[in-house]
Amino acid sequence: MLKVRVIPTLLWKEFGLVKGVGFNSWRRVGPVLPAVKVYNARDVDELILVDITATPEGRRPDHESVADFASACAVPLTVGGGIQDLDSIVTLLHAGADKVAINTAAYQNPKVVNQAAARFGAQCIVGSIDVLRHDDGRLSCFSHCGTVDTLRDPVAWARELTDRGAGEILLTSIDRDGTMSGYDMDLVQRVVHAVDVPVIASGGAGNYEHMLAVVRDAGASAVAAASVFHFTERTPAEAKRALSAGGIAVRQELSIF
Amino acid sequence: MRVAIVNYGMGNLASVCRALEYLGAATTIADHPAALSQCDRIVLPGVGAFGEGMARLQAGGFVEAICRLVKEDTRPLLGICLGMQMLAENGDEGGDTSGIGLIPGRVSRLDKLGCSLRVPHVGWNDIQFDATDPLFAQIPQKSDFYFVHGFAFNPESTGSVTARTDYGVPVVAAVRQGHVFGTQFHPEKSSKVGRRLLQNFLDYRPC
Amino acid sequence: MLKYCKHCVMPHTKPDLHLDGEGVCNACRAYEGRREVNWNQRRTELLEVLERFRGNASNWDCIVPVSGGKDSTYQVIRMLQLGMNPLCVTATTCDLSAIGRKNIENIKRFGVDYIEFSPNPVVRAKLNRIGLTEVGDISWPEHVGIFTIPVRAAVQFGIPLIVWGENSQNEYGGPAAAAQDSVLTRRWLEEFGGLLGLRVSDLVATYGIEQRHLIPYQYPEDEDLRRVGVTGLFLGYYLPWDGLSNALIAQANGFTTTEQAVEGSMVNYENLDNHQTGIHDYFKFLKFGFSRATDIACLHVRRGRITRQDALEIVRQRDGKFPWTYLGKALSDILEPLNMSIEEFVKVCDQFTNKKIFRRDGSGQLVKDRHGNLEKLNYDNP
Repeated sequence: MLKVRVIPTLLWKEFGLVKGVGFNSWRRVGPVLPAVKVYNARDVDELILVDITATPEGRRPDHESVADFASACAVPLTVGGGIQDLDSIVTLLHAGADKVAINTAAYQNPKVVNQAAARFGAQCIVGSIDVLRHDDGRLSCFSHCGTVDTLRDPVAWARELTDRGAGEILLTSIDRDGTMSGYDMDLVQRVVHAVDVPVIASGGAGNYEHMLAVVRDAGASAVAAASVFHFTERTPAEAKRALSAGGIAVRQELSIF
Repeated sequence: MRVAIVNYGMGNLASVCRALEYLGAATTIADHPAALSQCDRIVLPGVGAFGEGMARLQAGGFVEAICRLVKEDTRPLLGICLGMQMLAENGDEGGDTSGIGLIPGRVSRLDKLGCSLRVPHVGWNDIQFDATDPLFAQIPQKSDFYFVHGFAFNPESTGSVTARTDYGVPVVAAVRQGHVFGTQFHPEKSSKVGRRLLQNFLDYRPC
Repeated sequence: MLKYCKHCVMPHTKPDLHLDGEGVCNACRAYEGRREVNWNQRRTELLEVLERFRGNASNWDCIVPVSGGKDSTYQVIRMLQLGMNPLCVTATTCDLSAIGRKNIENIKRFGVDYIEFSPNPVVRAKLNRIGLTEVGDISWPEHVGIFTIPVRAAVQFGIPLIVWGENSQNEYGGPAAAAQDSVLTRRWLEEFGGLLGLRVSDLVATYGIEQRHLIPYQYPEDEDLRRVGVTGLFLGYYLPWDGLSNALIAQANGFTTTEQAVEGSMVNYENLDNHQTGIHDYFKFLKFGFSRATDIACLHVRRGRITRQDALEIVRQRDGKFPWTYLGKALSDILEPLNMSIEEFVKVCDQFTNKKIFRRDGSGQLVKDRHGNLEKLNYDNP
């Protein structure tokens, strides 16, 4: 049976990796390459790399750097940030990305999702949605790296993205990001029930119980996490052991080689 | 051991190259069919849609060259993901399209094959394989490999199926016809077992 | 393009550095803020904390992690002046120099009990190599050891207080200052250790180092830390910290310097103990575009000792040069225990180089002069 994935997320800003809280106060934690190498050496299920300044700076993805990172990465790699058109996707795939994540461009030009899925296949296109839960409990999708309120409802938007051909949804809670206080269970559950594609939960993981809950109770197909892996002693391998102990099927390490 | 990797504009060539080079093979990116003949092995990678893949393969002149090398020169070939699917006779994606036709069968969307789980099938899944198949030598049964696909290959003859995975319904994970192999999963992305499989492909001797 | 602080010469690539609206970095602002600090108040606080931990004659009052350098020499002098009975703990560095050895022996003569813990050098060399090739940090095992070895000693000897020097975070005095006496649990290490993501657990799982060879790098269990109440403070919070002042006091107390400024640096009084430091500093340059000379120049610009223009010129001359020698030892000799040739070393350098900040030729290759030195795209703001 299909295993649940544990996916470290690397947020890439200009020269290095950053970690923020609520998509703000980015703290620079070092260059990207060592992190890619370490997670690669640990043989994680997948890796997500997001360039968070490409869209705000109106710049195309930095495929040169992606090529450098991909050459150190033998695990499946999803790259996002600043993808506006099919050409960007071509260069990123050529540089070594296995999947690409589209976020802001989809709001501005939804057809790009259809075109990308038709050209590269749905399995290659991840619809990335950043969601803020307002103080009054209302949910809305934000673009431009969590700075512009699109006023769209995430459930409806997730449906539209998948109708247009996105093969996965990467769902990130902006308010939970970096807080390590748990995923936004209600948000994840609603989106999971609304779509027929795998949903990757992101934003808020602080311990293994959070990950277990979002899979077992909210139905996420995969868990993405950054702070918890960068700033605590928790590791993807231990996370998988915890999930397994909780009855979730995960890829086990093989000790025979 | 020289491996030609078919470049028809679709497919993660760099990963495949790196994995093979890590195992000690010399790789050539074959931009045109002529480059295929100097090699001991052919790898047909693939990420994307069947229709587009076949169109590009045809336009590049690869279909004819691959068929000739495989049939006449018994050149071992490994198709990966879309590359495996294109070995079929027909595919549904992008409208009814002809494949290379080396292994009779059809490629259809997972839900049309009865799968009621989330499509595409993305992630690590364990396989059950034919233990006599040299491609899986020294690999434990039920090893996890990395899948990322929405369509699956249904060969006409079950004899061509060498591995299956379970995703709600049995899904063909690997096929073989003589010295033509295909894997639905990505061995170059499948960690140690994937590298072992690629090594087996390099070590394979057609009898 | 690199952006530089308008006041000092630090580029914005440095982790945790921010340039404010006026283009001045937070380190410069923090230094300006020091003038507002009531140092008398801080000193009183320090004395209070030390008093809390001053034990009886049956155990040492605190642990002072010591490298033998100017700062730890100064720390020991201060601790003795403040009436503490410290247990000095040195985790022997990766490639101890003759001057480093001299300065360690010098500290012992102040009259302190001293433990030197030398981790298995064969294992250490393997870890140096892994650190270098995997995360571009040859000193990775030393960064780990600097935390684990004194903390292990604290648990072992039942001494709760560890007195460190400067806090690189520059933000607070340390958990010991907190009213609740926060313990240095594992979480603290991970958050502030700055270990580039590579963990000791990776060494066993991925790189085949045996668990039994990694004992010095194992952080104690939280329950042991809580039992002893292991906590720490940073002297640099309580006393106005200045590297040059520390060096002067150290020198007045027998500390030995080199004749000339050390390779890649601009002074002769720091980083004298480990021959591998040249490589460590060089990789900082490759990743971030600044190295030891920049670090020191910025410190002195902030204190008004040299002008920004002087700093720029010194940095241009001395920063980020290919580390052919360090403290006079040849690169090939330094790499020998790591089983690495210079050729392989250069490949690792190139892999970790942030190509965006250095000059490249038409085909995208890094431009190197005949000594292998790179050139940054810009050494100052346009």
